[in-house]
Amino acid sequence: MDLLEYQAKELFSEVGIPVLPSQKIYYPQELKHLQIPYPIVIKSQVPMGGRGKAGGIKPAANTIDAVAAAQAIFHLPIYGLYPELVLAEAKYDADRELYVAIVIDRNARRPVLLGSPDGGSGLQVASQSLQRVVVEDTFSPFYARRLAVAMGLRGQAIEAVSMVVEKMYTLFAKKDLDLVEINPLALREDGEVMALDGKITTNDNAIERHPDLAQYARDRKADHNRRSKYPSRDPLSAALVTLEPENGKSAGIGVVCNGAGLTLATVDLLCQVDACPLSFLNLSNEIYWRGGPSLRDRLDRGLELMTANPAIETVLINLVGSVTSCDAIAETILSTADRLAHLGRTLSWIVRLAGHDQALGRQRLEDPDLAHTLIYCPTLDAAIKAGLSATNPATNLSSTVVS
Amino acid sequence: MNISDRTRVLIQGITEPLGQIHTTRMCAYGTSVVAAVSPGYGDQTIADVPVFDTVHLAMDAVGAIDLTAIFVPPYQVLDAAREAIAAGIHQIVIMTDGVPPMDTIELIRAADAAEALVLGPGSTGVIVPGACMIGTHPVEFYAPGSIGVIGRSSTLDYEVALTLTEAGFGQSICVGLGGNGILGSSFAQWLQLLDEDEHTEVIVLLGRVGSTAEEVAARYVEAAIDKPVVAYIAGHHAPTLDSHFGHAGEIVDARLSGIYQRIDDLTIGTAQRKIEAFEAAGIRVARRPSEIPEQVRQILTGSDRSP
Repeated sequence: MDLLEYQAKELFSEVGIPVLPSQKIYYPQELKHLQIPYPIVIKSQVPMGGRGKAGGIKPAANTIDAVAAAQAIFHLPIYGLYPELVLAEAKYDADRELYVAIVIDRNARRPVLLGSPDGGSGLQVASQSLQRVVVEDTFSPFYARRLAVAMGLRGQAIEAVSMVVEKMYTLFAKKDLDLVEINPLALREDGEVMALDGKITTNDNAIERHPDLAQYARDRKADHNRRSKYPSRDPLSAALVTLEPENGKSAGIGVVCNGAGLTLATVDLLCQVDACPLSFLNLSNEIYWRGGPSLRDRLDRGLELMTANPAIETVLINLVGSVTSCDAIAETILSTADRLAHLGRTLSWIVRLAGHDQALGRQRLEDPDLAHTLIYCPTLDAAIKAGLSATNPATNLSSTVVS
Repeated sequence: MNISDRTRVLIQGITEPLGQIHTTRMCAYGTSVVAAVSPGYGDQTIADVPVFDTVHLAMDAVGAIDLTAIFVPPYQVLDAAREAIAAGIHQIVIMTDGVPPMDTIELIRAADAAEALVLGPGSTGVIVPGACMIGTHPVEFYAPGSIGVIGRSSTLDYEVALTLTEAGFGQSICVGLGGNGILGSSFAQWLQLLDEDEHTEVIVLLGRVGSTAEEVAARYVEAAIDKPVVAYIAGHHAPTLDSHFGHAGEIVDARLSGIYQRIDDLTIGTAQRKIEAFEAAGIRVARRPSEIPEQVRQILTGSDRSP
């Protein structure tokens, strides 16, 4: 989860990274009781980059300006999101603006310190100047000094910037973060540094052992649900992907698999024979390590989610497992198909199951008395062939015309 | 890594539901599971395996241990691995998924210092068909043979093993690196191990979009691997690299990619870029899983273009 700027800055303060005095503003009239001297800057609190360019950051020299700026920002969506609050922050004049960040390099399997002397919104352009220091062993401040020197800093700026990076690292390690970024980090001739903006991404796997971060996450979810008519989505519906059909044609196939690699491979194979699915869903690993619904429950819910799209006519299920019985999976497929049929949703089913009790599952699905249009496929290639046959003739014709 | 039916295996986390299920399956396949550790469960026997409160107590009672299989909950993985390393165990296989990245990094630093090999977290483990299985592999998909398989996609890896077996190509060893962001061992380490393994004739490498692990592996094959390699990449039609398939680390990589890739000279891995990298390294690329046995056959019968 990406924290909001004010949340990132609260964490910066905790570890002693200098930030400007600021105040959270939920309603523009609160600016009449502002504790910070003017001039100030009003900043939209949405978890997005590019707020400045989008008009989400405005300076104000007095209360009248500030209220007007806040009103405008509260009504300005950035990538579709309206701010729940804005931040009123003291204005600061920097001599230089730097970029510093910490992230994990997955190939090096170590945290890396990143820094550029050309921070601010021009960073993308100036990215050739990005310096990188891998924290090979236990962190020690010399890694931060190495970065500062590599960034071309001299004199007291070296210590000033490396102190900030050191504190960023403390935060990064202590809070299990995926990303800590300060852009820009203001630097003055006298060596004073100031974090003018901040970005923190928490790690989903680690968040439950950090009660303060978990609280931020709950607050954000509550904010979202209060503002949006669509409650935040459960992991399964968030995993449902709808593809843009090429040439506007689609076979109306939905693919359900378990595991990212298998899902992608199944989608690739369908596309290779010109039967690209309309949507696909990865039910994820056979077993969740943190508890949660079983594969059978996820399959049931996943089929319901996928077939809620009326354009889906055929469901291709490809599940491979080591523990869950194929017979039990087959039972779930049939009971879900029964329920959907009862609701008036009649579909064609293509099912391929591999794993424990495979023969029993096959027997159940090949029962001649089945009330459903269901093709059992012993192999993945057979399932793809069945998927191709399910594409309607008109689609085949148009694809012939196109090619 | 030295794994056979004589490898003496410890289970950490046998009292977890998954630990127990998979220990039973591992023992049934012939793996020598000699002890388990679960604090507070000392002196009990679970799945016919004696349980001890600490790794030291287990070793005092049963003698040397070659490998530990870790099934403890995510936040306990670092401690479990440290306990094993401190007791002198040099092979660590972690099935648990969702370990915080900084814990994994600490674990890798400790393992590097002790020259221990770590597989995982989030690994499906390793199977030497006909001899032993450590992890979660569906054993009925495998048969003994000379093909080594390295993957990072659990069910896709299983699928390919099954495809090979059905085509008559057994496997010397199959390894699941784990799908999580930070991993104890990479393609490169296992390519090296399989290159040195006398039972392996052909190596099959299974990748997918997201991260740059395959590009790094391709470079390594070109530089250091003598045996023939067949690769398969899933995800040609993945819409974009996003949260649907990305783990947190990939998303961060992707977000930083605009600036970050130039530092590494690596592009965030689209399937096309990965295939280009493999082909540049002289690696055969199969277009679908069922083409892998065909590629293997061509290599083994000498109708291959490369040695």
